[in-house]
Amino acid sequence: MKLPNIKTVLSIGVKALLISGMISPFAFAFDYPEKGNAAAGAKAWSENCSRCHNMRSPSELRDDQWITTVFHMRVRAGLTGQESRDILTFLQGFNSSLPTNGLMTPVSVKGTASQSGKAIYGETCIACHGENGKGTLPGTPDFTQKNGRLSKSDSDLFNSILNGYQSKGSMMAMPAKGGDSSLSNAEVSEVLRYIRQTFGQ
Amino acid sequence: MNRSTLSKAISLGMVTTLFSSMAIAETRVEDIVQRLESMQQEMDELRQQLKNTVTKEEVNEVKQTISSASEWRQPDTLIHMAGYADVGYTDTESEDGSFNVGTFAPIFHFQYRDIAMLEAELELEVGDDGETETNLEYLTIDWFLNDYMTLVAGKFLSPIGQFRQNLHPSWINKLPSAPPGFGHDGAAPVSDVGFQLRGGFPVGNVRTNFAIFASNGPELKTELEGGEYELDGVEAEGFGTDSDGEKTYGARLGIIPVAGFELGLSAATGKATVTSVEDGDSSLLSGEGARDYDVIGADFNWQIDAFNLRGEYVETEVGADNGSGTAASEGAIWETWYTQGTYRLSQSKWELVARYTDFDSPHDSKDQKQWALGVNYLVTNNFIAKLGHEFNDGMSDTDADKDRLLFQLAYGF
Repeated sequence: MKLPNIKTVLSIGVKALLISGMISPFAFAFDYPEKGNAAAGAKAWSENCSRCHNMRSPSELRDDQWITTVFHMRVRAGLTGQESRDILTFLQGFNSSLPTNGLMTPVSVKGTASQSGKAIYGETCIACHGENGKGTLPGTPDFTQKNGRLSKSDSDLFNSILNGYQSKGSMMAMPAKGGDSSLSNAEVSEVLRYIRQTFGQ
Repeated sequence: MNRSTLSKAISLGMVTTLFSSMAIAETRVEDIVQRLESMQQEMDELRQQLKNTVTKEEVNEVKQTISSASEWRQPDTLIHMAGYADVGYTDTESEDGSFNVGTFAPIFHFQYRDIAMLEAELELEVGDDGETETNLEYLTIDWFLNDYMTLVAGKFLSPIGQFRQNLHPSWINKLPSAPPGFGHDGAAPVSDVGFQLRGGFPVGNVRTNFAIFASNGPELKTELEGGEYELDGVEAEGFGTDSDGEKTYGARLGIIPVAGFELGLSAATGKATVTSVEDGDSSLLSGEGARDYDVIGADFNWQIDAFNLRGEYVETEVGADNGSGTAASEGAIWETWYTQGTYRLSQSKWELVARYTDFDSPHDSKDQKQWALGVNYLVTNNFIAKLGHEFNDGMSDTDADKDRLLFQLAYGF
């Protein structure tokens, strides 16, 4: 029996996939806009975007502009729908610019934190600062560096987390409270304590 | 002086003083009246202005109404424009340097919910003669079929390799020029017209992305050189008709086993026909038959902190002609590869780039080996100043052998 050559196999395969792809939407439900997971989005964003280009700061675009941009990138980068929704949720949550006035001041830390510093770091900070505190994006400060960022006073660091901070050489500014506006002052204090204990020299 | 005279003098003085005081008082009163009238007028004007203004409370009220309005906060249709542009200066060895406008490439997005998106990119360029050229780089309707698959129909950038489909925009490309063989007349196909399925899916902890397509495929051109016809190039620029009726099929599979590393393999196969003759007898085309057309490619990308290493290989092979009345009976192979390293200096906006490319064409005059070194300053993450120097090695006295100094400002939007 004569075996079909590779061209015939490729041709049949492509046609079959195109046809099956076109009839498959009936097996899936559309839900728009569906909320994704911001922490997973931050991770997917930091891992995927820099595969081709410089990281664009979330604050560069409005919420609606990010929708079309992310769907465009979904096609370009071969992202899954879930990854796109996660990234979109992250970008839309982090695209407020740093305040130029009306800074919040760390006058007092009242109340108790409902989450541990480790849990907050794992959800909010880890995407950019990394599991080891050395930073996953160009320009992100290395917490483990001697005389580095953690040599600043608690008051300065607390203020930076509370209001957001633009590191020199970083492609994006850290948004206020790392982008999670629901964090209380007590929780900001808790995550700062965790960062110092874990990465401080 | 007697008493009577003194008293008369005093009386006269008092009367004179009284009259003069009255005269002065009268002037002041007139002055005050005038000022009062003027103030009254100003007050009337202010009252009028006040009628046309709103209070801070009223402004806040409007703001609240706007923020709570549901219309257009999340419309079904979204319209967005992205794109890039670049300008620069090129100084080629043994030629005068010139300022140049590279490309203005607006990309239009029209999106309907998460169901479909129309994407179109124009490419506007100013030629050496000052004329503006306009090309449609791509135009696709993207149908988001499900979480893992998008149907991309129309004129699309070739999914063979990475450079053409993802890295060629000037704000993304780390050097001011494309690697030899990855431009518009090289070994790597540029664009195609047809249907494509793209997407990504996880396999355990490994992420993958894919693209498969069926298209019209490229056309071939020949040139009369030294009394003989030779294949001059493969025009893989997305033709709107299929001159030989033979479709091209291709695919790319990208594998990301760990974050920061991607390996891609791609291939395309089909038929292509000679459709143009340069400096020769075009009647020869009547006997042209479809020839074999095969492309293979491989690419990788590795990001280690601030260091990025990437590379790509593409080979395009066109078979010999089997018909009669051929314009060029021999087949030909175009092959190119490059590898590029980029390092972002710690805590700064400076970036160093080095790239080596080896382009092998069937025409010796176009063969080129190139070292390109560059320094980039990232003014912002989408606005880059690039200074590069190409050390080119090709056949003597050809463009492929001339070194170039390039400066480019690239802006992505």
